Amino acid sequence: MRTLNFAKRNFKEISRDPLSLIFAVILPLFLLFIFQQFDIPNESYKLENFTPGIVIFGFSFITMFTAMLISKDRTTSLLIRLGVSPMRPMEYILGYMLSIVPVILVQNILFFILAIILGLEFSINIIFSIGLSVVIAILFIAAGIIIGSISSEKASSGISSILVQLVCFTSGMYFPREILGKFFGTLCEYLPFESCLAILKGVMNNNTESIEMRNIIIFLIYTVVLLAVSVIVFKRKMVSDNN
Amino acid sequence: MLAIETKDLTKRYKDKTAVNGINLKINQGELFALLGTNGAGKTTTIKMLSTLIIPTDGQIKINGSDIEKDRQKIKKILNVSPQETAIAPNLSVKENLEFMAGVYQIRNKKEKTDELIKSFNLDQVLNQKAKTLSGGWQRKVSIAISLINEPEILFLDEPTLGLDVIARKELWSVIEKLKGKVTIILTTHYMEEAEHLSDRIGIMAKGNLIATGTSRELIEKTGAENFEDAFVKIATGGEL
Repeated sequence: MRTLNFAKRNFKEISRDPLSLIFAVILPLFLLFIFQQFDIPNESYKLENFTPGIVIFGFSFITMFTAMLISKDRTTSLLIRLGVSPMRPMEYILGYMLSIVPVILVQNILFFILAIILGLEFSINIIFSIGLSVVIAILFIAAGIIIGSISSEKASSGISSILVQLVCFTSGMYFPREILGKFFGTLCEYLPFESCLAILKGVMNNNTESIEMRNIIIFLIYTVVLLAVSVIVFKRKMVSDNN
Repeated sequence: MLAIETKDLTKRYKDKTAVNGINLKINQGELFALLGTNGAGKTTTIKMLSTLIIPTDGQIKINGSDIEKDRQKIKKILNVSPQETAIAPNLSVKENLEFMAGVYQIRNKKEKTDELIKSFNLDQVLNQKAKTLSGGWQRKVSIAISLINEPEILFLDEPTLGLDVIARKELWSVIEKLKGKVTIILTTHYMEEAEHLSDRIGIMAKGNLIATGTSRELIEKTGAENFEDAFVKIATGGEL
């Protein structure tokens, strides 16, 4: 119950920040729309490839909001008040995570509605990929918890914007890995964003054969490690912030 | 009965002792002011007493229960209004009260929030977002929130810091109404505040609790003309 109460409060905080809505929903929607107006001779920009790319791109802003929310709570001493209360650290983490789920669902539903209007064929796989995207988002939320726990309110948006750029360049949403050169190509392979996109794209297009075992392993390793690190870092920061 | 009892309470950081073996006894219903210069150890003491940080050494008993063994039980009977205003900025005053009622799983949530709204005159700002309130109102809301679980022990860390004289006097009247019903531990830099509100005063310097007593006792003890002079004499060891 405490977790749900905390999640409800977090959701209100996020949804009442107009910048959150602009970056998480309107900007990706605009990009999805505008890139379909150009006839770009590249597979990446076909609706069936670009829509899941936009979903992953939207998640990078989820990292930013989570980080900003946590760092703000630390700055305003709200976490001191909550630290005195009977709430336990896991209730905070779950509360932060659950509050993001409605944002993810709204994001995805709107992205897919626009994509369908622009010509994407509706299939049951779109519903599956919306469900899967909630699982993929755990990785991005965990990254946000880590950034928000270790940085100040101002720094958290800056650090998160690095992740936004990394998603753009290394997920393959804009350019295939082959044209990025050796260094960035290798970076794409070892960072999780390309794998997240490959998994989502495979499920959405009913083309699960395109998902390599490497994609699943990389995604799982990053998600588990970031989740574990986020719990440890958050717990430690709650104590050290008060010391 | 004692609300708070500490025995050799100590907090050490790597190369610094923030609180050095203090022994403190605070009675139930008492308003105890903790004074000291910056860095004297007041906030660290409050954080240890309110379960936020773990002491390096020593013992804390809250209403007779050991803070280490009965942490979760003790958390339910205390609350804090921190130095910085700790409210959710994008939530309205009403939502802030409801949110904290949820944190403490208050059963009669509506009844309790209505009671606080009435006693703190929050009607006029009830639907206003917390971040748009003046400093005085934010502090008032912060104290109201800290009463949501009907705490037996309340920690007020510099509750009137930075407020104008009217807002400060308003908060004094709020605190005065709580006297006797709730055990209050208050830290402040304002001597007149401590003198006006508290039953007893403790003075800390360099991590040590160097004097306790009523303001009159401390004035008499130092032979000073007023409480501010008495505090300066005690805190500086008579150097000033």
